[in-house]
Formats: sequence, C-alpha cells, structure tokens
Amino acid sequence: MGSTIVEKILARHAGRDVVQAGEVVVAEVDYAMVTDTRAVNTIKLIDSFGDQPLRFANKTSLVLDHYSPPPNQEAADIHSSMRAFATKRGTGLYDIGDGICHQVLPEGGHLTCGDLVVGTDTHSVTYGAFNAFGTGIEGTDVCAVMMSSQLWFRVPETVRIDLQGVLAPGVWAKDITLALLGKFGAEGLNYHAIEYVGDAVAAMAIDDRMTLCNHAAELGAKAAILEPDEKTFAWLKAHGAKTPQPTFADVDANYIGRYTIDVANLAPQLARKHEVDNIVGVDQIERQKIQFALIGTCTNGRLDDIRQAASILKGRKLASGVRMIVTPASRQIYLAALKEGLIEILTLAGASFESAGCGTCVGITNRLVPGNGDTVISTANRNFKGRLTNKNADIWLGSAATVAASALTGYITDPRTVEGGTWRFHA
Amino acid sequence: MSNQLVVQGSAFLLGDDVNTDLNCSNKYLPGKSVDDVAKYAFDQLSPGIASRIVSLGGGILVAGKHFGINSSREQATHVLHKMKVHAVVAQSFGRQFFRNAINNGLPVFECDTALIQEGQALALDLSSGTLHCDGYLIQKVPPLPAEILAILSMGGLLPFLKQYPDWKFA
Repeated sequence: MGSTIVEKILARHAGRDVVQAGEVVVAEVDYAMVTDTRAVNTIKLIDSFGDQPLRFANKTSLVLDHYSPPPNQEAADIHSSMRAFATKRGTGLYDIGDGICHQVLPEGGHLTCGDLVVGTDTHSVTYGAFNAFGTGIEGTDVCAVMMSSQLWFRVPETVRIDLQGVLAPGVWAKDITLALLGKFGAEGLNYHAIEYVGDAVAAMAIDDRMTLCNHAAELGAKAAILEPDEKTFAWLKAHGAKTPQPTFADVDANYIGRYTIDVANLAPQLARKHEVDNIVGVDQIERQKIQFALIGTCTNGRLDDIRQAASILKGRKLASGVRMIVTPASRQIYLAALKEGLIEILTLAGASFESAGCGTCVGITNRLVPGNGDTVISTANRNFKGRLTNKNADIWLGSAATVAASALTGYITDPRTVEGGTWRFHA
Repeated sequence: MSNQLVVQGSAFLLGDDVNTDLNCSNKYLPGKSVDDVAKYAFDQLSPGIASRIVSLGGGILVAGKHFGINSSREQATHVLHKMKVHAVVAQSFGRQFFRNAINNGLPVFECDTALIQEGQALALDLSSGTLHCDGYLIQKVPPLPAEILAILSMGGLLPFLKQYPDWKFA
C-alpha cells in the first residue's frame, strides 16, 4: 500500500519509512509562525521555560497582521511585546504593513516543497499550495516546537479531489472552493487532508493555488496540498526558498474518499449572508443591492485579485452609493500593484487602499465597519453574523472579479457580464 | 500511568456542534478573564450548567458531533478546568479542540454518546478505552496512542516536555 503526500511528509519528519492515517507521530517541524492574536499566550508559555537559548528561533516568525495597524492601545502593547521578544530571543518579525502571515511566509522564502510548517492560525493550510504540509496550532504547540523543534501529529486521512477541466474566463479558484463548501458543507471535511489534483490545478497561477488551499480551512481540513510543478519550483526559487523536496502521492495510496469534479462549466459562486456554505451561483441572484465592497485577506488579497478588480474598474467609477476598500495581502503585493499602475486605476475608480494585513476579514482594525442594514460583498473567507463587528450588516463572499463587478453596478453581478470581467493573466 | 487517565463524574449533556469560541472563551468578550467566562460558559446551551457542575464538585461533559469546532481558542480548556470539568466525552471533536485538550491535560474520549443521559454516573479509563455508565460497561474503543496518554498523564504537553525534553518517555 502506497502513501499520500501528507503521509510521506509526516513519515520523513518523524524518521519513519511509512506512517498510517490515524496513528500519532512525533515529527520535526521546519518552520513556525505566531500571529499577534495568539502572541500573548505563546510568549508567556515560552518565558515559563526561562531564558535558555531558543535553537528554533531562526525558524520562527512573529507576524503583526491581525491588528495592522493596531486599533487601540491594548493591541499596540501586544505589538510592542512581540517586537521586544523577537529582538531578545532572536526570532524573525514581520511588522505592521508587511502583510498577512500566510503571504509573508512564502514570500520570505521560509518554506518549500515537502516542508512541515505550523502556525497559530487555521488558514496555515495555505502552504499546501507549495507542496508543504501546513496546519494551524495553538500557543502550547508553538512553545513545544520552540523548546524541542518537534510536535505530535495525528496522521490525517486524505481525501483526493480531482478538479477536471479548465476554469472558464471570469471563474477563479475562489469559485471552486465556494462550490466545494456547498457540496461538503462547512467543516464537512473536518480533520482530513485534501489533495487537489487535475487539469484545473495545473492551469492555475500560484496566486489562485494559494486561494484553493487557503479556503480548505472552511471545510475543516487539517491540510490541503498540491503536487508541485515547474510553476511551483520557479516561484519558490524567485523567492529564495531552500532546495525543495518535491513530494508526490503513490498511485496505490489509500484515500478515505475520492471525488472527481468537472469545473469547466462552473459559474462564479457566492456564499450568501451568515453561512460560508450558503452557496449559490452568481447568475442565480437578481437585483441584490450592495453598499460595501472589500478585496483582500489571506484568501484573495493577492496580485491577481487586484488585477481582476483593475481590469473591471479601469476608466470607470464605482456605482453611486457604493464604497470599496482594498487591502493587499502584503507590502510586496502593494508595491507590485503600484508598479503595474493598478493602484492608480482603482483609486481613480473611487476605491481606497488600507494597510496590508487582515483588516478586511475580521474588522478588528475598526476601520472597515459596515453600517446597519449594509450588504457587504467581500473576498474574505468567513461571513458569520458580526464578523465585521456589526451584527446588523450582511456579508456575502465571492471572487475579486465578482466583488469588482458588483461594486461597478451596485448590485451582485456576474463578472462575465461586464467588460474586463473575463480577464485572465497567463503567466 | 497516573490517576488522570481514570476519570469519574456525573454526565452533563450538551448537543452537536458546540462552538467553544462562542460558548467557552472570551474571543467575543474581550477583557473577560477565565474566571469570568467559567461562570457562564455554555449557559445558552444548558442554562445554569456551570453552577450545577460546581455544586457536584465537578463533572464530565457529554456532547454529540464536532465538539469544539472552528478555530477553538486554547483558553476553552483553561475555562473547562476552572469549571471542574474533568473530561469531555463526544461523538467527535473539532481538530483544534482535540489538540488543545490533550496539550492542556484535559482527557477527551471519542465514542457514541447517544445513550448517555443527564446525571448518569460515568467512569472513564483512557488507558483501556472503556466507558462505564451507572456501573455498566457501555463503550470500548481503541485507546489513545501511548504518546497521548503520556502527555495526558503528565497534565499536558508542557509539563511533559519539562520532564522529557527530547520526547523520549518510554
């Protein structure tokens, strides 16, 4: 019996030839990440071990992203304590405006194919886009990794999802993941690892692959992972990652489920208000007004997302009564968008840019609060009631193209029906 | 193995899909301490549950599917300890809650819970994977792996690592 990708990665890091789904292994971790939301607890636990040198410090980054910039003194003080800890104990640090953890880790060259990466955030599954096992953990776990460079893992069962056909213009990885949430339900693949394969994945640019893996967190996945190809290797090399250990599934690997999904005819999808698995095709929605459009987050704040919006809004204006805010996923993406002229295009259209970070997702920067009765269309990954701090606003989720098309017309709009809505960058 | 792998107490029932971020943390109540949250945890699901557990000197939570779904703050396990919840028995657990419970020395037991009724006397033995209810053996499941039992018996992952810095405990 062969092994899946995550079984191979966990076996290699546990010093074993083979591991079986369901067993617990103690494995060497390659990299750890701590966000500002979990930093207080994590630092307290690490300090409880005293001042001993942290041999894992040069494989750890603290990321100031959720409170970027800090909305109040309490958050600012958390950031101060993180900077002091990083300086004293020798970890890496990404400061406010540098970007979201799941963007700055790959951009910083901190991970590569075959790696085992942990982070204090459920969307750490994003690293699977680079053939790395990435998973979310808590402060105690990070402390254990800092002290021993190891952690226990229950080897997850793997689900293989074959995405056949190539996405039509105007349809993106976001639409696939929303469709899968409709099929499996939120937490529907709780605990499982997902291997995504197929023509649709091969055709995707890296930005879209990151969206595909990232959004698996809403399915409850412990990991979502792709096989690497030339695009993966070129991207990693360009970002200074160490030598990859490409890891592929065996043909006789054991899967708990196999699904084949034809995405060639998929329409843009939406998660309607309050539930991430309340899914409908954009073409099924009529005359739904929106007031607030958001592009950003670790799911869809990348360059291709900003390009989608600029393609639709170039030389045009937001609909009357609509406001729009963009938060690039990182400073590097902000700079790339600046150089391409995308920021000028969107600013002229009436959009505003805010600091790179998690602000468009959770509203905890207090600058992106919707008003009572507002309908928000967002590229974020969660739309629970009150997610943007106002329980009297509705949040709908869609691709950057769908968000921009809706901001242009003032109604939920299929991007395929507006000029520029079928743009696709072919890298 | 120490006594922490054998747990006894009355059953306190909760349903499916219990979200510990919402019901057992300060994620949406910034500034509230573990002590504050422990007084009202799960109150919307089972009114008065916290005071009823305390009045019996502790108890065992019994839930259905996906106990602790979602991002599951580690604080939930601190609140459960404070409430004198000695173990959680559920049909299944959210992944992060399961990790947090083990890392913080809170015994978790995964089995069919449909037949357990409020107030019944439960006795768990994690090392044998058995659950007794009112004196009768009602469940026998494969025990948790030795590594997990070792962490639980030490009271959590960090006490375990202080004792066994290289993870070699056997």
